[in-house]
Amino acid sequence: MTHGTGPNATRSPAAPQPAAASSTAAGSTGASRSPQARPRRARGLARSDAAIWTRGLTKSYGERRAVDHLDLHVPRGALSGFVGPNGAGKSTTLRMLLGLIRPTAGRGQVLGEPIGRPDRYLHRVGAMIEGPTFHPGLSGRRNLDQLAVLRGIGGHRGERRRRRVDEVLAQVGLSERAKDPFSSYSLGMKQRLGIAAALLPEPCLLILDEPTNGLDPAGIREIRALLGQLAGAGMTVFVSSHLLTEVEQICDHLVMLDRGRMLFQGHVTELLAAEDPRIHLVPELDGDARRLAGLLDEAGLRVEIDMRIGPPDAVAATEHRPVITVHAPEGLAADLNRLAMSAGIALRSLRAHRPNLEETFLRVTGEIDGDLARSEEGLAVPDGSVPPVGAGLGPAQSRGGAT
Amino acid sequence: MINAFRAEWVPLFRPRFLLGTLGAVLGCSVLGTMLTFLSVGHNDFDGDPVTAAALSHPSGMVQGAQAVSILLGVVALSVVAASLAGDHSHGTLRNQLVAQPHRARLLGGKLVALALFVVLVVAVAVVVSVALSFGLAPVAGVSTSAWLSASGIAALGAGFLNLCIGSLGYAAVGVLAAILLRGPAAAIAVSLAYALPVEMLISRIYRPARDWLPVQLMQEVATGGTTFTMPYADALLRGVLYAAAMLLVALVFFRRRDMTS
Repeated sequence: MTHGTGPNATRSPAAPQPAAASSTAAGSTGASRSPQARPRRARGLARSDAAIWTRGLTKSYGERRAVDHLDLHVPRGALSGFVGPNGAGKSTTLRMLLGLIRPTAGRGQVLGEPIGRPDRYLHRVGAMIEGPTFHPGLSGRRNLDQLAVLRGIGGHRGERRRRRVDEVLAQVGLSERAKDPFSSYSLGMKQRLGIAAALLPEPCLLILDEPTNGLDPAGIREIRALLGQLAGAGMTVFVSSHLLTEVEQICDHLVMLDRGRMLFQGHVTELLAAEDPRIHLVPELDGDARRLAGLLDEAGLRVEIDMRIGPPDAVAATEHRPVITVHAPEGLAADLNRLAMSAGIALRSLRAHRPNLEETFLRVTGEIDGDLARSEEGLAVPDGSVPPVGAGLGPAQSRGGAT
Repeated sequence: MINAFRAEWVPLFRPRFLLGTLGAVLGCSVLGTMLTFLSVGHNDFDGDPVTAAALSHPSGMVQGAQAVSILLGVVALSVVAASLAGDHSHGTLRNQLVAQPHRARLLGGKLVALALFVVLVVAVAVVVSVALSFGLAPVAGVSTSAWLSASGIAALGAGFLNLCIGSLGYAAVGVLAAILLRGPAAAIAVSLAYALPVEMLISRIYRPARDWLPVQLMQEVATGGTTFTMPYADALLRGVLYAAAMLLVALVFFRRRDMTS
């Protein structure tokens, strides 16, 4: 397992340090000549590379903490994923960032402005939170018209406003159905309209809550391409999603939340690199399994043997073939094959397995279930070699990932 | 606030909402006017005789509309409560607050637009009532000559203004209920229950309470101060103060409350 490769180790030197307890002025970045002001100024500079920055952001409802001392750092220009199980506090966090609810404690900045003054930054922010919500009786275009008027897009000139509405409708592929009432839209079309509304102000920061909900595969692909295109053009995109495969594919930065607390933030590749790569070997003859495991163990590799079921996702998992799991990177697969061959052991299969984001997420949040749980059980041996929940991440990553 | 004002007209002009509102006020207006003229020669609800001579006075032209001032108030209350609470329940308020984070400006713009909408709705009701009154007057033996005099026009203006103020007072109750309860059904049900049976029961059981109950005061203003012993100006002042207090409470809640759903 690789420790020390988390965001702390790789973050740019400009990364902000935890705020001093005495500093309570939310988002204060003003320079001062006094010596006491220097740390504050340093922090202010460090925040400048962040589109979203929070320190100790907390929201409590009575005794329950929906968001618990969240230290966010979403870099400018990043396409950042925001993941967590239901009730993790994602929507509450997004609402605080959008000025819809007030934090109980903590402070933060969005686009360099304090979150206590959303009027200073929301004109540069587009958002769709908790699904697309529009007047059901109005057409998609009229719904966008209302928001465009409210934002003052085009001033009193209807022509400019109409042009902008046309642009965003075309951007999400809704031009042909723009005149139909919102209530007649499919869920996917409603999602598109929500994204169109978020794009109206030509934002620097786009915050989307589950944007691919209800979309068909083609629609998901289009939205993925659109988000990539927007991020490529310099827009910061902060997208919450349950579709971890999507997040893994499109996001370069990730924030992982559970029970209101941060589990990880940093680059997706860092998270996955910290995971434990494995190679599964199935000998052709069941009787060779223990001998092969012994050979690999002698070679200094960490080895597990499971005599119960087949490879985790094998088609014929009920064949009950013994499986040898070697904790090693994919690059060693050829060497393992040669080692087995030299000992006269033929392999039925040899597969490299690197945990993806979904597996990592489920393991870290302790929500392993279904097929994943079964596959993990399959690998379990009495020595308890299946990593416990929370393992696989360095201390800095697994708690806060302080930047 | 100008943008919020302009933006609010988009949902107000939803065909179904607009037609529903206009249908309701037209119905109220026609009903009130016809019943008023058909009542000539009979007693009204309070036992006072309705005569052709009384309707021939300059103020006779707006008697029909004033007869249903409660219904116009109910329409105003319902329209405002449905519109404001609907934004909460549909979730559209979230989008609007992201587009206009100055909550006071957003609510201010909405309220001005809604107030103007209520005034337009009352205007439609009065126009229909007056037109119908001219049609029904000969049938009921009512002379319309005084209606077209200068004092008749002044009475029409005053009647329209009173109806507007009364309806806006009802609307203020709707605003408060919508902001506090955040659901159209609950807001309309609770505010109507308060405005109609609760206040009416209280004022019938203990008559002096009429001078202090907000909706009763609005009603008095809407009918031109003809039923209370209290001077019209006092009723107007108290009614306006009540409405201002309700709007202030609504504004404070709207500004400070978390938008959680």
